[in-house]
Amino acid sequence: MSSATVQQHTIVVLVQNETGTINRLVSMFRRRGFSLACFSAGDCEIPGFSRLTLVVNGDDEALRQCLRQLDKLIDVVEVTDLKPNECVARELALIRVEPKDADREAVYGIVSEFMAKVPKATGTGIIAEIAAELETIERFIEALKPYNVAEVVRTGTIAVKVSD
Amino acid sequence: MEALVREGVDTIFGYPGGVVLPLYDEMLNWPQVRHVLVRHEQCAAHMADGYARATGRVGVCLATSGPGATNLVTGIATAIMDSIPMVAITGNVNTWAIGKDAFQETDIQGITIPITKHNYLVTDVEDLPGVLAEAFYLANTGRKGPVLVDIPKDIFIAKTAAEFPEKIERRGYRIPGAAPAEQVSTVAKLINEADRPVIIAGAGVLHSEAMAELLQLAETANLPVINSLLGLGSIPRNHELSLGMMGMHGEATGTLAVQDADLVLGIGIRYDDRLTGNTSAFAEKAKLVHFDIDPSEVGKTVRNTAFVIGDIKASLIELNKLVKKRAHPTWWKQIREWQSTYPLVVPEGKFLSRTVLKALNEHTRGEAIVSTDVGQHQMWTAQFYKITKPHNFLSSGGLGTMGYGFPAAMGAKFARPDDEVWAVVGDGGFQMTLQELQTAVEYGCNVKICLLNNGFLGMVRQWQELFYDNRHSHVAMGSPDFGKLAEAYGVEFFRCSRVEELDETIESARAHVGPVLVEFVVEMEENVYPMVGPGAGNSSVVMDPALTHVEPEAVGAFETTHAAVKL
Repeated sequence: MSSATVQQHTIVVLVQNETGTINRLVSMFRRRGFSLACFSAGDCEIPGFSRLTLVVNGDDEALRQCLRQLDKLIDVVEVTDLKPNECVARELALIRVEPKDADREAVYGIVSEFMAKVPKATGTGIIAEIAAELETIERFIEALKPYNVAEVVRTGTIAVKVSD
Repeated sequence: MEALVREGVDTIFGYPGGVVLPLYDEMLNWPQVRHVLVRHEQCAAHMADGYARATGRVGVCLATSGPGATNLVTGIATAIMDSIPMVAITGNVNTWAIGKDAFQETDIQGITIPITKHNYLVTDVEDLPGVLAEAFYLANTGRKGPVLVDIPKDIFIAKTAAEFPEKIERRGYRIPGAAPAEQVSTVAKLINEADRPVIIAGAGVLHSEAMAELLQLAETANLPVINSLLGLGSIPRNHELSLGMMGMHGEATGTLAVQDADLVLGIGIRYDDRLTGNTSAFAEKAKLVHFDIDPSEVGKTVRNTAFVIGDIKASLIELNKLVKKRAHPTWWKQIREWQSTYPLVVPEGKFLSRTVLKALNEHTRGEAIVSTDVGQHQMWTAQFYKITKPHNFLSSGGLGTMGYGFPAAMGAKFARPDDEVWAVVGDGGFQMTLQELQTAVEYGCNVKICLLNNGFLGMVRQWQELFYDNRHSHVAMGSPDFGKLAEAYGVEFFRCSRVEELDETIESARAHVGPVLVEFVVEMEENVYPMVGPGAGNSSVVMDPALTHVEPEAVGAFETTHAAVKL
């Protein structure tokens, strides 16, 4: 309908847990052709409910439609489109690096520079853990790449609204 | 069964099978609920749909697990597209067998997620009373729609003392009331200032039972009322303000009026593609207003100037307080000119589907319940059958389900036994669900079937003629001898192929008590006009070549070429 620019939005959704809830939500994105960049779900402060963070790509019109379609789902209780300045958004990444022996110090140096952690290390591999904003995580992974990154696992963004 | 009785269910349409045996056994103890044994589960869903459309009450269908459940899918998809209140109950294998690929197991909850308003898999019998009560509540409130409840066999057998809820409350589910006052006053101002306003009234008016409020609005401001296909019946077609259906095969006056209007009030419509044509060329001179109960409809297909989001009846009551009396003489003069220049015509000298439907309308005075299949006959019925009462026109508008007409007519007849009910079907669609003739016979279901037999899938043939160089590809439709078929089922049968026999045939069919199949052997190659070509704007509506006084460039010529066809 319009050639408006594609933007990325962070949407937080409170859902009532039932059989099929996640399926129903994801199915709506597929069916209506909305672009879901990432998705994370977990328990929240209300028993029987979950809070989900969705990162959605689209122009303004697509996003408006997406919010309304989400709100229409019976198990969706609340939908909030979070502006970057009114929320804290973080992602957790676990990265297994398998450096040469001579490079282990360098890896620990990068971990310390990014204020990341090493929850576990073996003779061959180091697990680095970082919880940060998206850009920081990307830079962290970039910095580790020369040292043989064997596996990257990321949670996707989670976000919480700041108090008014 | 207690849940169904509490919800006021008097009829369920279903088909038994292994896992629903406990429910079927219990059914014998509840004689106040009539079970209609269908011959295919798809038709159970269509009958429940017809029951719902004819009454505004929730239609209920029931099927066993696996293929029983999947056979409901087309009927459920039909219902969601047209926002029909329906509860579909399916059996499933025992809870401990779910996920083990047990005999007749299917994930019907997963399958129906995109085509239900909501659905449930009940895994604890304690939840069952609450789930069933909630299913009926969700189906028939807000924007209505089908709700499926999947119940494993062991849950059917288990006993529970759980209470039925007094009141259904769900966080995040609100039933809309009237639209906010500022939305209503904005639109009232637009109406009061408009020079060429029109209403397009859709099924939302019927769902909200807002017919009187619609009429009051139209009569106060002297607004022409055009209908979407499913909006037929929201205003009596014989009312002087009614212009009939618009859109791809709508009456030219309505389509042209919208194109020339300065204000379009879309009330309970979806601005769907069959109505708008190419949206970028739709009503370009007009401010578009959208009245809908569902906020997700705003701006979905067209750009709105203003919207009225809420229950249509409640919103119109508020709006009517603010709307001033207007006459619009110049605008009405133009509309009456279009009506006299581009009337619907029934050419003489041939036995056409239009000939039959015009006569059917006259014989029944537009007062029968009419249920259609999908295709040419559906459009001609919408054009020529002048529906005078709400909830009397049943048709699969959104999904376009062939085979819908006959079972939906039966559902309507079970719901309103005192009304005359006609199913208008083609030879193609009727052959999809004609096995329900047996059901009709067994229950003495007094439905008249107007079978328009032209030996083709007519609408497909029309498109092949107009957009594919008349290359007929798999579109000729052979049929059995319908007379012998009717005889085999024990159904009264008439065949008519001449204008001279038409009146007598229709009256004989009407006089017979019980199911009647009337085969009208009509002209094979007859096209539906007016027509807006696929992908074209509504201003390029092509008029009926039978309108010999109309300038040739407006007749029978499509701007749309084969290559430009967009479905």
